[in-house]
Amino acid sequence: MNASLLEALRVRDEPYYVPVAGEVGLFEAAYATRLPVMLKGPTGCGKTRFVQHMAWRLRRPLVTIACNEELSAADLLGQYLLEEGSTRWQDGPLTLAARFGAICYLDEVVETRQDTLVVIHPLTDDRRLLSLPARSEAFRAHPEFHLVVSHNPGYQSALKDLKPSTKQRFGAIEFDYPERSLEVEILMHETELAPELAERLVSIAEATRRLRGHGLDEGISTRMLVHAGALIRQGVAVEAACQMALVCPLTDDPQLVLALDASVRACL
Amino acid sequence: MNELPLALDLAPGARSFVRALWGLDVRIVSLPLPASSLSPQRPRFLGSRLWLPAALPPEASGRLADYWLAAAAHVAAHLRFGAERFPVRGLKPVQVALVSLLEDARVERLACEQYPGLFRLWAPFHLASATSARSSVALLTRLARSLHEDVHDPDPWVNEARQLFFASGARFRDASFVRELGGHLGNELGQMRMPFNAREYVVGPAYRDDNLGLWQLEPDSTPAGAELELETPASRATQVGRQPSSGRSGCDPGGARGGRAEPSPAPGNLADAPALLYPEWDYVIRAERPGFCALRERAAPMGDAQRLDASLSGYAVTRRRLLRAAALLAAEERVQRRRQASGQRLDLRAAIAAFLTPAASRVSAPRVYRQVRLRRQPPALLVLIDSSESLNCVPPGLSCSALELARRASALLGSTLNAVSREWAIHGFNSNGREDVSYFRFKDFDQTYDRLARARLAGMQAGLSTRLGTALRHAGQALRVRSAERKILLVVTDGEPSDVDVYDPNYLPFDARRATQENRKLGVTSFCIGLDSSAEGRIRCIFGDHHFLLVERLERLPEQLSRLALRLSLERALV
Repeated sequence: MNASLLEALRVRDEPYYVPVAGEVGLFEAAYATRLPVMLKGPTGCGKTRFVQHMAWRLRRPLVTIACNEELSAADLLGQYLLEEGSTRWQDGPLTLAARFGAICYLDEVVETRQDTLVVIHPLTDDRRLLSLPARSEAFRAHPEFHLVVSHNPGYQSALKDLKPSTKQRFGAIEFDYPERSLEVEILMHETELAPELAERLVSIAEATRRLRGHGLDEGISTRMLVHAGALIRQGVAVEAACQMALVCPLTDDPQLVLALDASVRACL
Repeated sequence: MNELPLALDLAPGARSFVRALWGLDVRIVSLPLPASSLSPQRPRFLGSRLWLPAALPPEASGRLADYWLAAAAHVAAHLRFGAERFPVRGLKPVQVALVSLLEDARVERLACEQYPGLFRLWAPFHLASATSARSSVALLTRLARSLHEDVHDPDPWVNEARQLFFASGARFRDASFVRELGGHLGNELGQMRMPFNAREYVVGPAYRDDNLGLWQLEPDSTPAGAELELETPASRATQVGRQPSSGRSGCDPGGARGGRAEPSPAPGNLADAPALLYPEWDYVIRAERPGFCALRERAAPMGDAQRLDASLSGYAVTRRRLLRAAALLAAEERVQRRRQASGQRLDLRAAIAAFLTPAASRVSAPRVYRQVRLRRQPPALLVLIDSSESLNCVPPGLSCSALELARRASALLGSTLNAVSREWAIHGFNSNGREDVSYFRFKDFDQTYDRLARARLAGMQAGLSTRLGTALRHAGQALRVRSAERKILLVVTDGEPSDVDVYDPNYLPFDARRATQENRKLGVTSFCIGLDSSAEGRIRCIFGDHHFLLVERLERLPEQLSRLALRLSLERALV
């Protein structure tokens, strides 16, 4: 039954992804040697989409876990459930992926408490072993099992970092927003905007990224541009769409709103 | 902050706008209203400093914010696309005015190529009518509009000028044609017997700067009255209080300190406490000099606590917000407890155990709940204030010194944290050579934040130099002995370590960087609030990526310090 669950997690249609700088080749090589991969980069630049794309390419099911502070080892590994007067063991997502050979993706991994994350250690070295203390079981991961984590080394997480013992188990691929022409291409593909308008939206994003560290934690991401494009496709006026999808979500500071509004108008 | 004029609030927005457009870092200061309304004010820039009129000029309409944005964008276009300053030599006043006008149009064209929306930002200020009287000044403003909109003007001179200008379109990237064309058009205007009064000429449209920033000033070689009328605007700049200078952040410690007592610490009482010796890292020989610096802890002078309390009255709203967030910090002290008789969540493991051993559950009520709050002590937080001479400067546009803002910031932080934790301290330091680093404890760990502590904060003085590395090492030691799980050192500095006996500008920053690394090994995480955004590179080098925050508007330091302290304590953005 678990295996059929994984079957449902198979990525059937090719997720759209434009390679930026050889990351597809790097990931394939890491997969071939089963080197766990860490994806680093700002929010909304395409890390998750990349993982989906790679899962499709490598024809593996994809198990995604959105990490948070309260994620416990049991949430990853599994636990006993009560069922009709007896107990039944339920594999957690990590166990499931290791048993049946899926790609397991821990999104925003630094959000997890560091002692929780230690459970992945034996899985990520050459032992590839997963132990389930609650079940008194340990098993070797499926040969196709692969672990991928992502994290955003932004300034919010200045105090949140992975333990060196965790970090050193991974190969890392650095992501950033794609360069201008690629970002325009991506935006046009995702939203079917006219090239000229896509260019202008990308100009807005580039302007706000210059304010990173000067009032903004992050500039406008590719994802936000796609949101704006989608609103425009719905018939919302360009300026109103930018206001709703780009300026408003980004900041509450009236000074910055003034600057962002002016930047939007300058670009359009 | 109520005493600040309205226009000042626009400065940060306009500044961010310029940074967003081209990544330029400009300083914007509001020009006070002129004594008489006879000569309309114009924006002015020199280098990356920008002065903007505090009120909308009479001929312009619309929002003051749009006027400021238009002016800031115009000056930014000069900074982005302008060439070297033009030498005035050999040009008649009317030619100077024309070259400036053509250069304005040239940089705006280039700016609009990149940001087409700027055209609409500037357009409402071009009010010249094609039927205006035929004076040289009227023709100049008509030419400005004609070049902006690229439309036909009935006047043959304006029209020819426009055609010649756009015929040079391919050469727009190169400013040299502007001087040539301006000279030619000026001669033509002269042949038309159009008098030009340089003294009364005011640049139009109103958002454009007075062109002073475009020209090389040659006070000695310039015959009086032959050039652009420079005295009036120049004296205006003096009124603002600070002539633009290449000095850092335009601060003028000498002027700002005028009339105030020399800052303590008095150099005489070296015997306050025994000196502690700290090593220093010499990046040139890549080795540590053991026992190189002597640090003494000195008693912090007392000030007027009541006055400091009163100065916080303007921050009532901020304070309420901060206190709400601080309450979360207290809440997070709660422990996650399993097997509780009550709680927000079911403790599944306990529930299953209770189910599997029915005998146990019959004995007592099943303890199958858990309380979900995680064990989280507040971190040990040490705020270290660089109280060197630079703190005495009065930032442009503000009425009080950076020191006063640092005092208020400390007091606001105190009133925020006091309710929830005692595990915090505010220390300060300055130095006078490697033998004499002073260290003050305004409020120490475990001390109550009482009247005495506030009096010490109120008495905080600034002076002397910044031997940052030694102070960081000492603060690191103070944190090392705390039992809290997380130890945070939050440094408030302008990011320019310097001392009287150090001449290599890289020496102290590298030592400070080393000290930060050593502290990390002691389990101390360092974070910096930078008061001078032009020192970003150095601050990044010392504290590392993502471990600093630059305060763009110094008047917000009090709020920012508390916000950041809470943010670091809670490890998330709450306020």
